[in-house]
Amino acid sequence: MGTREDEYDYLFKVVLIGDSGVGKSSLLSRFTRNEFNLESKSTIGVEFATRSIEVDGKTIKAQIWDTAGQERYRAITSAYYRGAVGALLVYDIAKHLSYENVERWLRELRDHADQNILIMLVGNKSDLRHLRSIPTEEAKAFAEKNGLSFIETSALDSTNVEPAFQNILTEIYRIVSQKQMRDPPEGDVIRPDAEPADVRAAGADAVRRNCCQ
Amino acid sequence: MESHQAEHDKNGLVAETFWRTPQRAVPGRPCQRIQQNKVMSGSSYQQFQASVNDAWDLGDDDIISGIAETKISKAISQTAAINVINSHRKSTKNVNNDVKVNEGVKPREEVVAVRKNEIRKIGGVPSGSSGLRHYPGRPRPVKLSALTSREESSESKLERFQQVLESAVLDLNELKQLSWSGIPTKARAVTWRLLAGYLPANAERRAETLERKRADYKHLVRQYYDADREEDTYRQIHIDIPRMSPLVALFQQITVQVMFERILYIWAIRHPASGYVQGINDLVTPFFMVFLQEAAPGKELDNFPLDSLTEEQRDIIEADSFWCLSKFLDSIQDNYIFAQLGIQYKVNQLKELIRRIDLQLHEHLQRHGVDYLQFSFRWMNNLLTREIPLPCTIRLWDTYLAESDGFATFQLYVCAAFLLHWRERLMLEKDFQGLMILLQNVPTQNWSDSNISLLVAEAYRLKFAFADAPNHLHNAGKSDR
Repeated sequence: MGTREDEYDYLFKVVLIGDSGVGKSSLLSRFTRNEFNLESKSTIGVEFATRSIEVDGKTIKAQIWDTAGQERYRAITSAYYRGAVGALLVYDIAKHLSYENVERWLRELRDHADQNILIMLVGNKSDLRHLRSIPTEEAKAFAEKNGLSFIETSALDSTNVEPAFQNILTEIYRIVSQKQMRDPPEGDVIRPDAEPADVRAAGADAVRRNCCQ
Repeated sequence: MESHQAEHDKNGLVAETFWRTPQRAVPGRPCQRIQQNKVMSGSSYQQFQASVNDAWDLGDDDIISGIAETKISKAISQTAAINVINSHRKSTKNVNNDVKVNEGVKPREEVVAVRKNEIRKIGGVPSGSSGLRHYPGRPRPVKLSALTSREESSESKLERFQQVLESAVLDLNELKQLSWSGIPTKARAVTWRLLAGYLPANAERRAETLERKRADYKHLVRQYYDADREEDTYRQIHIDIPRMSPLVALFQQITVQVMFERILYIWAIRHPASGYVQGINDLVTPFFMVFLQEAAPGKELDNFPLDSLTEEQRDIIEADSFWCLSKFLDSIQDNYIFAQLGIQYKVNQLKELIRRIDLQLHEHLQRHGVDYLQFSFRWMNNLLTREIPLPCTIRLWDTYLAESDGFATFQLYVCAAFLLHWRERLMLEKDFQGLMILLQNVPTQNWSDSNISLLVAEAYRLKFAFADAPNHLHNAGKSDR
């Protein structure tokens, strides 16, 4: 590394998790390609996409890992939590079970992800007003209680998709840049990890610092 | 790597105990239900037959696996392999369509010495670059039309199939040899049934076997699907089916979706060690299409109305798809068990293989932080069905089903050949992102049978060169490179 052009100031790895069918892949394709398919194929294992945004004049590149929701894949997908600095924990506002399982997903993150990972609870499919089974206030209260940020989105009609990713990336950026000012080297917000499932560029790192491995 | 593995196992345990819901029945434990059935209604022969279904299957599978376990010396198997390849070559010499394949398999490739440069050559020129970037990770809609409009293999090949298929006692080896390089559409359905081990080689037993197995399947439907369903398994299947091929009208018909649902649910319940795993649904499709094509010969299948077939015809498609899928998955069940260890193992083998074949490519991937698991997991889990068009999958499965020692090993070499096919393009990618997006979305939309023929020929060559090389895969997982 170091030979290629760095087109970004920060690279943050973010994971999308949550029950099967809640719309993780749709959120991702809406955010990275502004596309939406009413039925997109189930995700097998983990899929990758990326997009850059600007915050405070800095270019932040989000490397987003979309994970399969099915339980069987968890051993595989949890390997991708390492090095992630943010997680969008998605449920379907019309599927109560997907909301009930949020606690399990939090446990998953606690077990496998970095302890400082920022988590945003995302109630997707907000366009399904007539089918809503989780009141916004209830989810909001749950999020506050658990120290998560919260937003409701609709990948179908684009509502709040952009802000969801913007918010979490901005928040990560603030923490990382403050941390860097306080104690520049080897800050442990993000630890580059030698673990094979973790990519070199995965951890958030000021790329120009040229550190990992 | 060993510690990595250990960690997986450890995590596995934690996760399993954590995710299990104790009050619910464990997915796929049919025993209670069987007992209930016994009590519920008066005993009948049908009931009895249903209760011994599994026993019948066990015996059947034992015979087959018994054959498979017979030890054959490497020398003999190599000679046999050369014979197979030679006879393929001979058998396809006169066939215009297949000439290309023969060019791909050059005689000198049987020599075991392998150099990197030679291997790469077969990869060929990458095709169609447009539309690559904007659609990462999302496989394109399936084009089924190619299935029917595709040029048929020559008459002479079909004739040879018919000769083999009509003989009183089928020469299965001969059928495999013929099939390896592709099966003519007209002969495919029956050949797949035979190769899958669903239809007996003895012609006299076939009609009776089919009748019994199809009746058995109906019992299974009643026993498992029409009864109280295991909720979690059913829910997962139920949400996956409608999104399998969202853009193909055929698969949006409720009739078709329910057929898939029953096949997958029953398979899952009868295979509790794995249960239903996302992706297995894609593995039903080729069988379904081949048996549908048999029932509706020459028809455009993209939006074929299933309800225009008789109920009996639909039942046959469904039952045969179920049994062939079951046979097909037998050899790769470890792909779908907890932590998908079979796949993790194969991914490590792929990594080791590529390191040995094409160090430059391997180092390129490693340098940019691309891990093999990140792209080849789906290749293994879905047997490349997400990476290539459906007609190509069907052609590929001609070869898989014809692989004499099961396709599980061969698939590794197919994946290696597939990766090497894109090596020139991959070498041009300069960062992790570019590599991953290409690998998740390789441009195969214009692929046809001839691409698959080249792919399997190359895979065969790699297997021939590497499968027997001493310890060549033993380091898999230990090496960190």
